[in-house]
Amino acid sequence: MAFRDSGMVDMHVVKRLRVAYAFVLAAMVIFGVRLFYVQIIRYDHYKQAALSDQLKHFAIPASRGIISVHEAGATVPIVLNQRLYTLYADPTFIKDPATAAAKVAGVTGGKVSDYEDLMRTKHTRYVVLARKLSEDQSKAIAKLKLAGVGAEEQDYRTYPQGSMASQLLGFVNNDGVGTYGIEQALNNELKGTPGQLKAITDINGVPLAASKNNTSVKPVAGKDILLTLDLSIQQQVETLLKNDVEHAKATDGSAIVIDPNNGAIKAMANYPTYDPSNYENVDNADLFNNDSVSHPIEVGSIMKSLTTAAALNVGAIKADQTYYDPSHFKVDDFNITNIEEDGGAGVRSIADILNLSLNTGATWELMQMGGGEINSKARNTWYDYMVNHYRFGRATGVEQGYEATGYVPSPKNNGAGINLTYANTAFGQAMTATPIQMAAAFSAVMNGGTYYQPHLVDSMTDSTTGKVTVKQPVVLEKNVVSPKVGQELIPLLQNVVDKHYFVPGFDQSKYIVGGKTGTAQVAKPGGGYSDNIFNGTYIGFVGGDKVQYVIVVFMRHPTIGGYAGTAAAQPLFGDIAHMLINNSYVMPKAH
Amino acid sequence: MVSQRNVRAWQPAPRLNSRPEPTPVSRRHKPDYWLVILCVILLTIGLVVVYAISPALSESAHVSGNYYVFKQLIAIGLSLVAFLATSQIPLDTWRRIYKPLLVVAGLATLVALVMPVNPNYPAHRWVRLGSFSFQSVELLKFAVLIWLAGFLSHQIRRGTIGDSSQTLKPIAIAVLAVGFVVAGIQSDLGSTGVMVVMMAAMAFVAGLPLKKIGTIAGIIIIGSLLAVSVTPYRRERLATYFHPEANCQNSGYQACQALIAVGSGGMFGLGLGRSVQAYGYLPEAANDSIFAIYAEKFGFIGAVILIGIFMALFSRIKSIAERAADSFHVLIAVGVLAWLCVQTLINIGAMIGLLPLKGITLPFISYGGTSVVFVAAAVGLVFQISYYTSFVGRKKVDNSSRRQPNDNSPDRRRVRGAYHPDSGSRA
Repeated sequence: MAFRDSGMVDMHVVKRLRVAYAFVLAAMVIFGVRLFYVQIIRYDHYKQAALSDQLKHFAIPASRGIISVHEAGATVPIVLNQRLYTLYADPTFIKDPATAAAKVAGVTGGKVSDYEDLMRTKHTRYVVLARKLSEDQSKAIAKLKLAGVGAEEQDYRTYPQGSMASQLLGFVNNDGVGTYGIEQALNNELKGTPGQLKAITDINGVPLAASKNNTSVKPVAGKDILLTLDLSIQQQVETLLKNDVEHAKATDGSAIVIDPNNGAIKAMANYPTYDPSNYENVDNADLFNNDSVSHPIEVGSIMKSLTTAAALNVGAIKADQTYYDPSHFKVDDFNITNIEEDGGAGVRSIADILNLSLNTGATWELMQMGGGEINSKARNTWYDYMVNHYRFGRATGVEQGYEATGYVPSPKNNGAGINLTYANTAFGQAMTATPIQMAAAFSAVMNGGTYYQPHLVDSMTDSTTGKVTVKQPVVLEKNVVSPKVGQELIPLLQNVVDKHYFVPGFDQSKYIVGGKTGTAQVAKPGGGYSDNIFNGTYIGFVGGDKVQYVIVVFMRHPTIGGYAGTAAAQPLFGDIAHMLINNSYVMPKAH
Repeated sequence: MVSQRNVRAWQPAPRLNSRPEPTPVSRRHKPDYWLVILCVILLTIGLVVVYAISPALSESAHVSGNYYVFKQLIAIGLSLVAFLATSQIPLDTWRRIYKPLLVVAGLATLVALVMPVNPNYPAHRWVRLGSFSFQSVELLKFAVLIWLAGFLSHQIRRGTIGDSSQTLKPIAIAVLAVGFVVAGIQSDLGSTGVMVVMMAAMAFVAGLPLKKIGTIAGIIIIGSLLAVSVTPYRRERLATYFHPEANCQNSGYQACQALIAVGSGGMFGLGLGRSVQAYGYLPEAANDSIFAIYAEKFGFIGAVILIGIFMALFSRIKSIAERAADSFHVLIAVGVLAWLCVQTLINIGAMIGLLPLKGITLPFISYGGTSVVFVAAAVGLVFQISYYTSFVGRKKVDNSSRRQPNDNSPDRRRVRGAYHPDSGSRA
């Protein structure tokens, strides 16, 4: 046997012990080789693996610039920031999603199953669990010490004026990107530059003490923007717009009040609006569009004011002349007629063309540009005015997202009724323009020929240096028409207002108020025009010794009786003009 | 067949043998202090690592910064008590009380099974008495060690070491019992492995015929295959073991993070206070995973040094086993050696991706009271054995041993003396 009875250990025992021990030695040698492989040969691999877990990149959000407007000689913010928290998870580090989800839900009040599903997401290291948590909630989450769950700061916009100017302002989406309106157009200026922190962290993302891998760059806040808007005018225009849209039973409407002498927009309203702080709840994304800028329309008869100005400027007509109006023109085998109340054929003045809104009158003006007929000279002249003087067919550059350019048909003879098309453009059909394009072009005529870029930004403030940069008016076109033509247009358009019997009326001895209605036919999807759906438009001005405000009004598909321009759009123009006068925004004539 | 004189060399438990108490054969001499020195070095390394990562540990456990170091110091104090007890209370006494020890260990296991579990560790492994808690399996290891050494040496003395019903059957029953309770109910495959290998090593060294050991090994292999195949989480762990990097995000998480910790340590390590993996990435950073944290801090050089210290300790125990005074001593030393070796190998092997994770501690280094106290107790037994080692020319004894069982050993008397490993060459 292996042992002697004396208790002495014999060699057999020692042999077996050494055999067993040899296995231990062999194992230890293998371990040493393996350690060499893992720690020396594969060092880079594991170092990278460690850093990819441990080294975290934090974007330190930059404060987004705030947006203010004018109010009684001061400024007042209408878009502010609120620092909230976004709760995220790295599913890699979540061992027990059910428990973690229950704990998170205990703080946020969300659904446990939703969080658990998110925490089980495969092949990702970042899922958003919840947004807009308060600071208290974020701290409560941090106290849970859940591995793989963290909260990051995010600025959310708040709107002290609620839904006011919502389409104009736009919103900031969950990724911090401005969408629609000012937020989109000036996203780069507003957003600032986020800071960066790279740090070795514990599993909860808390940075550990200084490591050579840690780097940090401070964020630079975005610029604050002061808009040209006047809070009081904007608010009142929105109220009037809402009332008149409802009264006219229109689907929606918009209105612009602009200073024609520098292009500064004083009010730009749409109805209906939405609440930009809850933009997610908007079902129809069309509601985000600022129709004054993004929605080109066939503007209708308001174009006659610009046709008249062009014809006057080229000397084709004279402001005080008369002509024989046959009440219909045959152009390209198509009859151009007027509305029923035109009074039939007869001798008409230029004032009559605008006041009675004679399509034949506008066609006649176009003919005069061609020396008495619609020919290539007439087309080219009118095209030159539309595109190069009035700048239709291209964006104005107003600081808004998704600005549309509109459409101007080419004057080249395409053999398919080009003269009829051009006759139509003379009274605002067969071409499209946005209300802001109309406002800017009309402003250029009314101020005597200078086309100012319509703009919403008054100044920007660099939040780091405090330096204020005032935006100077930008002249895009000079000599749009001569100053004389601008002066001739004023009484012609005042006459229209006088003849349309506003209630209450305007005291033209103290103020100048003029305008032009438009009842635009609406193109049907299949071609041709609808017989019973119209858009109502109005373009006009108010002022004293000179024109001080240009007002453009648009009503979509009003169903109130009468012509859309007169019945739906004109009252809103009147209301806005009265509001401006009654609140002393208009400087009366000096006498 | 067994002579009166030779029986005296053994100190059988009274139940087994009613003969009068024999006197110890070996004279007491200077013990092997290297045993103590190496253990103290290992304990110190463990304490330093626990100290270095205690900010990370206390952060996630919401306790004060000194909590872990303080608790570990208490454990080390208790270890000292255990060491003194096992090194000074005569081995004979230990052998005699193997039954009460087994009963206490069995009771502790039962208590652990009925105790409500900590939700973080949902296995019935812990006995809690107020703020004090311990793992019943560590006591069971100790008790089985004492019992088996006594049992095997008794069988050797009776010459029935090769007998199936006398020797093999009780061992097989013991293995099955351990497998059923520790692996089956407590789901503690790691500790089961340690105990089974410890028992196998003792049986092997005791001279159990290889064929019989093979039989037991067969039982164990079948048992483990069953254990793995019926439990989904073990199948998962096995799959993880074969493809750890493919399962980094779920079942292989700890294995992957351990490899990352070890690998990112590189040649020289990140430095004592610079472990990152301890900050929540690597689970059980102070316990089962402490080797990976150590390797992250001290690199390849440090890891090799640590393994070297372990090897030095093991080689001391092995030398003591080779020179132990009698078969009971030998088997105790072999059992302790197997216990420490297996636990070290399984633990480190898992951290470097060579073995599946088993959730057992690294002796002396890992944080955790129970492990360190019982490991110290085991080493205490070996320390006591080192008082009585012989420095013997083996060959001579060996030549005569089988043919002349009644040799009255004049050689032994002549050479009996202190064994000093540093004092000269071995025969």
